[in-house]
Amino acid sequence: MTSSFGLLNTAYTALTAARTGTEVVGQNIANAATDGYVRQRANTVSVAAVSTGMLRSGVQVGGGVAVLGVARLADPLLDGRVQTTSSTNGYWSVQAGAMSTLETSLHEPGATGISATLQGFWSSWQTVASNPGNASQAGALLQKAAQLTSAIGAGYRDVTSQWSQQRDQVASSVTTVNALAGQVAALNSQIRQTVAAGGNANELLDQRAKLTTQLADVSGATVRDLGDGQVDVVLGGNMLVSGSTTRAIQLAGTTELGGASSDPARLVWADTGAAVQLDGGRIAGGLAVLAGTGPLAQAADAYNSLATTIATQVNAIHSTGATTSGATGLDFFSIAAGVPAALGLAVVPTDVSGVAAGAVGAGALDGSIADRIARIGSQATGGPDAQWATFVVATGSAASTANTQSTLAGSALASATSAQSSQESVDMDQETTDLLTWQHAYQGAARVLTTIDDMLDTLINKTGLVGR
Amino acid sequence: MITRVTSTQLLANSAQTMQAAMARLSTLQQQASSGKRLAVPSDDPAGTAASMQVRGQQAAVAQYQRNAADGMGWLSMVDGALTNSTALLQQARNLVVQAANSGAMSQAGRDAIASQLQGIRDDLLQTANTQYNGRSVFAGTSDTAAFDPTTYAWSGTASASVERRVGSDAAIRVDVDGSTAFGTGATSVFASLDTIISNLHSGADVSSGITAIDAGLQSVSGAQVVSGSRYAQMERAKDSLSSQSIDLESQRSDVEDVDTVQSLVALQSQNLAYQAALQVTAKALPMSLLSFLS
Repeated sequence: MTSSFGLLNTAYTALTAARTGTEVVGQNIANAATDGYVRQRANTVSVAAVSTGMLRSGVQVGGGVAVLGVARLADPLLDGRVQTTSSTNGYWSVQAGAMSTLETSLHEPGATGISATLQGFWSSWQTVASNPGNASQAGALLQKAAQLTSAIGAGYRDVTSQWSQQRDQVASSVTTVNALAGQVAALNSQIRQTVAAGGNANELLDQRAKLTTQLADVSGATVRDLGDGQVDVVLGGNMLVSGSTTRAIQLAGTTELGGASSDPARLVWADTGAAVQLDGGRIAGGLAVLAGTGPLAQAADAYNSLATTIATQVNAIHSTGATTSGATGLDFFSIAAGVPAALGLAVVPTDVSGVAAGAVGAGALDGSIADRIARIGSQATGGPDAQWATFVVATGSAASTANTQSTLAGSALASATSAQSSQESVDMDQETTDLLTWQHAYQGAARVLTTIDDMLDTLINKTGLVGR
Repeated sequence: MITRVTSTQLLANSAQTMQAAMARLSTLQQQASSGKRLAVPSDDPAGTAASMQVRGQQAAVAQYQRNAADGMGWLSMVDGALTNSTALLQQARNLVVQAANSGAMSQAGRDAIASQLQGIRDDLLQTANTQYNGRSVFAGTSDTAAFDPTTYAWSGTASASVERRVGSDAAIRVDVDGSTAFGTGATSVFASLDTIISNLHSGADVSSGITAIDAGLQSVSGAQVVSGSRYAQMERAKDSLSSQSIDLESQRSDVEDVDTVQSLVALQSQNLAYQAALQVTAKALPMSLLSFLS
């Protein structure tokens, strides 16, 4: 101790530290519910005793407490885990969502799906086989055939519109990524300046961490710490954000499902046009759905090949038959050129006169050709029904896999988030305890101050008065 | 290792747990209220395949049942017409026997028998042209009457037949070839009756007509035996189709529908789990050191 007044300074440092500590607790409590807030702590250190001069001896007591700064208690490892799992979760949640929409649009199994419509169509042929030449039964058949073509067309259109919606979604995600990258770059330079000036950038760091987690969810981007307060954001091995500069990405490729295999929708760097390799995130999930071999392109192919199979198999038999008036070589279905088969499928006959139900030369009211067409439906393999069932089951399996993966990725994210919040979030009990600690420290320091004051009072006013 | 547990984490976890419990509850509720185990193919891809196959078979069997009902209509019409024809031919035979025996019968008597036979011939022709749903049952695949009223030519095609499908590889013929039952043109039973009638008018002997009518009777009853056995075949097919339809419905229900009892038990226990989650959250969350400090 250098002097009696030195003790006053010790008490003063204690009061300051206690006040800072209380302020930090206040900040923590204020942000207990703030998303992305990482708890902070006042870092204090005891001040060593001042020992100067060779003559000084005796007991030396330290000089109080010093506040080093306000630490942000983040754990980069846990943050990294949340980013990785967010990226996987983003990827699978988009896939699972798309598969669920697709399989719901099939309306299978049930009474309204294409398989039920097909069965109705075959039954109508059977009825025509029993009543060849009957105008009303032929009318019912033509109506069922029209239902079938419109069901196939509607299914195909559902798939194309889902494709377009998915592309719009990816495009808006790309815009989000560019905007987020810009914000991260701006924060990078702010943080660098603040840190360089010795300021507290904790709240800016919170904001940036929140943005990089969003970036990981959307694009699967990873973060690399530069050490000077700035971070780089890496997308597929290339810098999306480097310090305070960014590089924009954009969505290239077809805007129509039809071009998905020749000119697939893909992500490129805006400046060079080189492809961006993605490892995860919503954009990668969306692009996988949009791909030329993706589930939507496969569904569109399934509708087209269903339309072609129905037309080919029905026409192959129908064209060998004769109408009641003896006309032969007639087609039942036509497929318009220049459009996808699913949309181009149309019914040729307009009434009973175009329906060739009977075999040639077997009498006007023969129904054997209609019977043969009706039996296409009961083929175990190779028929349109079997082909459609195979597609529905494959879609169901893929959707089930995507669901499982999405659930797994979701629980991995939940556990990573839980671990992160266990480490980084504010606990009210702890803050209350800290508050009490600082309060008591403040009260104690104040008492030290009073005691010194009392001692000085004794020294100044009460000494040298003996015998007065 | 003691992990730090924070109130924020606790809140987030509780919210997530309750959300998951709610989602399971919603799935079970949907299953219990709709009675369906399969809402989308991903619920059970293998079950979906089975369900689509069974539904396809059900639609086919329903159509076969309609075909069988239609076929039985045809066959009973054929049977009735043949019974009627036998009676008419029997009546004609009696008249011809009467005319052949009575050598002393006057020409007026023979003319009277001839005009009766004419009536019988017209009735027989009408019976042979019997229609079902607008189609002559003895005309096969032809779209006109089975027998021409003047030439007695049969209008059908010999090789073609009318069949009703009662299984994916089973079809039963429902018509009877009119030319087999009644003959055609000059060799038809109608032409034989005409010969007898003209012989009666001209006073010639009609005893050879008895043989002709007997031959006609034989072919008609032969046709009736055939159509009768087909009717029995159709009836068996119909019975087997209705039992198939019941089997298929129970198969479909096995694949698609939920076990009601099991579903209700699962729903109840999930409900309980959800309530427990709510209770625990409600009890644990308000706890804080602040509650105990004054």
